Amino acid sequence: MPEIAIQTQKLSRTFGNLIAVDGIDLQVTAGQFFGFLGPNGAGKSTTIKMLTGLLAPTSGSMQLLGLDFAANPVEVKRQIGVVPEGMGLFERLTGTEYLHFVGRMYGLDRPTTQRRSEELLDFMQLSDRPKTMVADYSHGMQKKLALAAAVIHGPRILFLDEPFEGVDALAAGALKALLGRMTERGTTIFLTSHVLEIVERLCSHVAIIHNGRLVAQGSLDELRAGVSGAEGTQTTLEQIFLSIVGQEGASRPQLEELSWLM
Amino acid sequence: MADVTRSSGITEQIRLVTGLRWQILRNGLRKKNNRLDLIGLIFAGVLSGIFVFGMCFAFYGGAYFFLSKGRLGWIALLFWGIFLFWQVFPVFVAGLGASFEFRALLRFPLSLSAFYVIGLAYGLADFSAIASVCWLLSMTAGAAVAKPGILPAMVLIVTVFVLFNVTLERLIGSWLEKLLSRRRTREIFLGLFVLSMISLNFINPLLQRYGAEARPFVMHLLPYLVLFPPSLAGRAVAEISQLHPAGFLLASGGLLLYLLLFSAFLWRRFAAQYRGEELSESAAPVRPMVRTIAKTEQGADGLGLLSPQVAAVVRKEFRYLTRNGFAFLTLLMPPLLVLVFSSQFAGRHPTVSGQAVSAEMFFPGMMAYLILILMAPAYNSFAYEGRGIQTYFTAPLRFGDVFVGKNLVLVAVLTLEIALSMAMLAWRVGVPSAPRLSATIAAIVFTIAGQLTVANWSSLSFPRRLEFGRMRGQRQSGMAVLVAFGSQILTGAISAVILLAGRWTGNPWLPVEAFALLAVAAMGGYVASLAGLTKLAEKKKETLIEALCR
Repeated sequence: MPEIAIQTQKLSRTFGNLIAVDGIDLQVTAGQFFGFLGPNGAGKSTTIKMLTGLLAPTSGSMQLLGLDFAANPVEVKRQIGVVPEGMGLFERLTGTEYLHFVGRMYGLDRPTTQRRSEELLDFMQLSDRPKTMVADYSHGMQKKLALAAAVIHGPRILFLDEPFEGVDALAAGALKALLGRMTERGTTIFLTSHVLEIVERLCSHVAIIHNGRLVAQGSLDELRAGVSGAEGTQTTLEQIFLSIVGQEGASRPQLEELSWLM
Repeated sequence: MADVTRSSGITEQIRLVTGLRWQILRNGLRKKNNRLDLIGLIFAGVLSGIFVFGMCFAFYGGAYFFLSKGRLGWIALLFWGIFLFWQVFPVFVAGLGASFEFRALLRFPLSLSAFYVIGLAYGLADFSAIASVCWLLSMTAGAAVAKPGILPAMVLIVTVFVLFNVTLERLIGSWLEKLLSRRRTREIFLGLFVLSMISLNFINPLLQRYGAEARPFVMHLLPYLVLFPPSLAGRAVAEISQLHPAGFLLASGGLLLYLLLFSAFLWRRFAAQYRGEELSESAAPVRPMVRTIAKTEQGADGLGLLSPQVAAVVRKEFRYLTRNGFAFLTLLMPPLLVLVFSSQFAGRHPTVSGQAVSAEMFFPGMMAYLILILMAPAYNSFAYEGRGIQTYFTAPLRFGDVFVGKNLVLVAVLTLEIALSMAMLAWRVGVPSAPRLSATIAAIVFTIAGQLTVANWSSLSFPRRLEFGRMRGQRQSGMAVLVAFGSQILTGAISAVILLAGRWTGNPWLPVEAFALLAVAAMGGYVASLAGLTKLAEKKKETLIEALCR
C-alpha cells in the first residue's frame, strides 16, 4: 500500500464568523505532484498555512508522513520544505547568507550547508550577485531564493504557494525539471497556482477547494471522467475547473454589462 | 471600440487630490487599532488650533506695532519666523503624516503644468503651510490697520512670499526624496538626524564656553541676512510704508527673483519625475558573471558551543545589526550621552562648579539610564524580521532558541556599550568605590536578565513591524512601551531600595550581596521562562505573523 504523505480529517479554520476552511479531508500519496486549486478567497492559502504549521486549525487533525502534526511539530517540520505566501525571506541578508541561515536552522552542518548553498545558487542563477541583499533582488529572484531555501535540507514534502509567479521562462523550465526529478525520487510536492496550464502539465493529482470546502479530488483522469468535453478532444483542466467552480457563475457579471468597453 | 474620456481640468484634479488625501486619512483612522490615534489626532488638532490662533494674534500685533511705531527694521523678523517654521516644521513631522505617494498621480493623464500646479497645491495643504498662511494674513490685517494705504502692496508681497515658501518647501521635499531614495543614504540620514538631535544637548555647554568669543563673528554675519527672502519681504514692506517706491520695487523684485529661480529648479525636478525618473533601488539587470568560489568553511564553528539553530540566529542578528545603519549609529549614543551628562551635571568639566555630583551617585545613575535606553528595542525584538518571521515557524526548532540567539547578541552589544561607557565615566567623573562598582555591575546583570524575560514575552504579545531607515509610521506598540516602562520602573525601584538599604545599614557590601542574589534568581527565571515562551510563541504565532508580514 502506498505511503500517505498528507492526510487531513475534517480540517477547519474559522476567523471570527468567517469559515475559511470547512472540514476538508485531503489525502495525498507520497511521490505525488499534487495541485491544489481554487478561486481567490477559496481557502487555499489558509489550508497550506495549516499544513505547514503557520496557522493552527480550529478543529480537525492532520498527519504528514504518518506523524500527527500537533503532537510532533518539530519532527514534521524537519521533513517538509515551504515557500510560504510572501516568501518569508529575511531581506537584510544576502542570498548566500540566507541559505546558510536556513540550512543551519534545519540542522545541517556547516560544510554541507555551504556546499548545498553554492549549488542551489548556481542552479537558480543567483550566484552572480554575492553581495546583493535580498531586499535588492527582483521579485523573480526572491522567488527563486525562496525555492532554494525550501529544498536545501532535502525535504520529503514540498509546499509551494505560486512557485512560478514572477520567475522567467528559462528558470521556470529548469525548476519544473528539478521538481519533476524530485517527485521521481519520492518527494511529494503540494502546489498551488492560478496558472492552470502549469498545474495540468506538472501535476498528476488535483484537489479543488471552493468556499472553504473540498469540491473535487483525484487524478486528472478521474476528474476528466466526471466532466464531459467536446467530442474528440481531451477535457482541459481549465474546463474541469470552470465546470466545478463556475457552476455558481450565474452571479458573475455578464460581458454585455461592459458594452462601453467593446 | 472603447470611448476615451476628455481630460479633466486642473481645478477638478486638485479637488480630487484633496478628496483623496482626506479619504486616506479617514480610512486609516477607521482601523480598530487606530482609535487611539484618532483620539490623539483630535487632541493634537485642538492644541494645534490654539497654537495657530494664538500666534495669529502675535503676528497681527507685531505687524501693527512695528508699523505704527515706525520700527520698520523689525518687520523682517516676523517674515523670518514664518519662513523658518514653514521650511523646518515639515521635516520634524515627517513621521506623522498620512502615507501617500504624490508621484503615484503620474499614472493619470496629467500634463506637466497640471502636475506642477497640483504639486504646489498639495504643498499648501500641509499644516505648516496652512498655519503660515494664517499668520501672514494676520500680519496683513495688522499692517492694514496700522497703515491702510499699504494694503495692496502688502497683499502683493504676502502672495509672492507664500508662493516662494511653498515652492521652496516642495523643492526641499523633492531633493530629500531623491537623496533618501537609496536605502543606505536613508539610514545614514536618519542616524545623523537622531545624532544631531542628541547633540543639541551640547549647545548649552558650548555656548557657556565659547559664546563670548563667537559673538562678534555672528554679529559680523548678521548684515548679510538682508539678501535673503524673508529680509527682502520685510524691507519691501518697510520701503512702501515710507513711500519709497524704488526701494519697494527693488526689494520686491529681489523676492520675485528668488521665486522665479526656485520655481525653475522645482520645474526641473517635477519634469524629471514626470518623465519617469526611477528612484527605486530594485535590482538592475546585470551581465551574468562567473561565480566567485565562496570560501569553504570546513573548520570549527566559531560559535561551536551553541546549537546550530542558536548559532544561525546569532549570525543573522549580528548581520542585521551591522546593516541597520540607524541602529548602528545609535550605538554611538551611550558614550555620547555620558559625555553630555558629565558635561552638564558632574565631573571635571570647566563649566561645572564645585556642586558636581559625586561618582558614587553619578556612576550607577548613568548606568541605569543607559540600560533604560539600550534595553528598549528588546521589548519588540521581532520588529525588523518582516516576512522572515515565518521561517522561525516553518523550521524545526524550539522557539526559545530564537530568543536565546537574539538575547545573546543583545547582551554582547550591551556588554560592549556598558564597558565603553564605564571607561568614559571613569575618565570624565572618576571611578566609584569598590563596593559601589561591584553593586552596580551586579545590579546591571540582575536588571538585564530580569528585563529580558519580560521583554521576550512582550515581543511575542505586542509585536509591531518596523522598517529599516524609515521615519514614517515607525511607532512601537503602545502596550509594548507600557510594559517596558513598567518593567524598568520596577527594576529601578528594587535597585533604589537596595542601594538605600545599604546606606541605612551602613554596610556598603550589602547591596552587592543583594544584587548578586537577585542576578542569580533573574538568570534562573530567564532559563525557566524559555519553555513557556516556546509554548506562547505557538499560541501567538498568528498574531505575530499578521503583525510582521503586513
